[in-house]
Amino acid sequence: MRAMISDKPGAPESLELRDVPSKPVGKGEVRVAVHAAGVNFPDTLIIADKYQFKPPRPFSPGHEVGGVVTEVGEGVIDYAVGDRVIGMIGHGGYAEEAVIPTANLLPMPANMSFEEGAAFTMTYGTSYYALKQRGNLMPGETLLVLGAAGGVGLTAVELGALMGAKVIAAVGSDEKMEICRKYGATMFVNYSKEKLRDKVKDLTDGKGADVIYDAVGGDAFDEAIRCINWLGRLLVIGFASGRIPSLPANLALLKSCDVRGVFYGAWRTREPEAARQNFTEMFEWVRHNKLKPHISMTFPLEKAADAMNALLSRKATGKVVIKVR
Amino acid sequence: MRAIVCDAWGPPESLTLKELPPPPLGAGEVRIRIRAAGVNFPDVLMIYGKYQRKPPFPFVPGLEMAGEVVEVASGVTHLKTGDRVFGMCGVGGFATEIVMRADMVWKMPDAMSWIEGAAFPVVYLTSYYALNNRARLKPGETLLVLGAAGGVGLTACEIGAAMGADVIAVASTADKRALAAQHGARRQIDYGPARLRDSVNELTLGKGADVIYDPVGGDAFDECLRCIAWGGRLLVVGFASGRIPSAPANLLLLKGAELRGIRTAGWREQFPHEADVAMQGVLALYTAGKLKPYVSTILPLEKAPEALGILDGRQATGKVVLNVDA
Repeated sequence: MRAMISDKPGAPESLELRDVPSKPVGKGEVRVAVHAAGVNFPDTLIIADKYQFKPPRPFSPGHEVGGVVTEVGEGVIDYAVGDRVIGMIGHGGYAEEAVIPTANLLPMPANMSFEEGAAFTMTYGTSYYALKQRGNLMPGETLLVLGAAGGVGLTAVELGALMGAKVIAAVGSDEKMEICRKYGATMFVNYSKEKLRDKVKDLTDGKGADVIYDAVGGDAFDEAIRCINWLGRLLVIGFASGRIPSLPANLALLKSCDVRGVFYGAWRTREPEAARQNFTEMFEWVRHNKLKPHISMTFPLEKAADAMNALLSRKATGKVVIKVR
Repeated sequence: MRAIVCDAWGPPESLTLKELPPPPLGAGEVRIRIRAAGVNFPDVLMIYGKYQRKPPFPFVPGLEMAGEVVEVASGVTHLKTGDRVFGMCGVGGFATEIVMRADMVWKMPDAMSWIEGAAFPVVYLTSYYALNNRARLKPGETLLVLGAAGGVGLTACEIGAAMGADVIAVASTADKRALAAQHGARRQIDYGPARLRDSVNELTLGKGADVIYDPVGGDAFDECLRCIAWGGRLLVVGFASGRIPSAPANLLLLKGAELRGIRTAGWREQFPHEADVAMQGVLALYTAGKLKPYVSTILPLEKAPEALGILDGRQATGKVVLNVDA
């Protein structure tokens, strides 16, 4: 099978397209013909040895795939050859085939394309866990999403609106604002033109946002903590800006607010049943066409480096997907 | 009435005892003859001008008091002359008399002395609010209490133990650790010789503390971020160490942990009903005999500067109370 291989730590260009032997299917595993692979920010870290998990080389990056089961291993009863599935894997998605334990599979809703399936678990999984379990977002509350047109940001906008929140999208351009409007945001901050804290206070009658979803970090975090409501929750998702911010503890005290870390991967490992339940709820929304992954760019397998660079340069809105078949 | 007056920002010695006209009684208010007043660390910060609230001069410090109702404005129905009450007044407690909104005071249990009553509202409501309402402390969880022998710290040990938590106290002397043990801390850590993170990780078998109660800040806070359990809650109660620390956001992310700011007075103002329910909750623990307010020092009203000096020097164990009745 063909796969994009990382043989030494490096940038996206260090990946090579190679023919590699298929892996045998073990007990409790299935072989999946990969139709599409989602591209995620951690993929760029894992090939540069900057991720918390470092697989032995050579390996293929790729956290999530959409495909069809072509072979089932011993003891597998809940999946059969021909099933359309989503695979959640730590790496190995940028390839024509993946061998996946059934615990890491989800059945793909019938009205979902392979590209949508490959673009779903990381971003929607993270955002729903963040807003539901970590943020306790309540209907009627104000949700501020930083980097709102990005891969995870847009899913937070969409899920927040579905959960009944009033969503403020913070973005860097008017064009990105329009995408967020389509996904449910009703208020906007263009932080290339406006000061975040002032605009958010204006939009919330001086109170500030109840829940802040921050996958950006850096200066945006520093601003956001100054426009949070009393008993607000700032959700720390990641640091796409490249700078890890620090919170002066007196700011938390004065607003009686919370700053809550969100580590989706670790939670999913610790609480697989709750994580599965989250997908069950979200797939119900998918079946009713209430959730629609936004895929802005697709690339063929051999152009995986271009796909990753589209994400890194922040040119992409929503998700970037590699179309393998 | 007699009162301790602050005319300019400065140390406790700059306060003076004065005779002042009694304040007028407005609608919905009660006049209280103060019998005892609790002394708290924010009182010290306030007279130095270092607290978030900076009252205009001249003002009478004193965050909390206990006393009896001597006059009731028309329209106030739930209180009558002679009722024993306590409350968080923000300022004005270091005096022989105060006028407060009737809905801002609570009735005291019959068994509670004036001294206990004056030592109760701020620290017990703060710790109960922090552990019950904010941290949702669960039975069997590990609660790490910093500054465990201090005013708020000791109440966190007691309430944590009453809620079924496994309480670990951090204190700097053997006497303080023994005191924390008497008030519910099953285990104690000496703050100083070893790194706090190592001691906590050892006592929790590498898991870290589920809830951390921190009225200290500074270096201890920095250590706590490194010995917090997955899903742990670090409660920011205050900065008695004098240094306001910062939390790198990635540490919170990796532990799925959170920082929660605790500001009791502001909560009480915005959510008075919740605060009333919480006060009834903590008073129920008192009535059940699970809380023993610990007052280490009792001084007369005119010795308020000395009382504040004890807190300023961070030497206090438990509470310092002014006996206004004397």
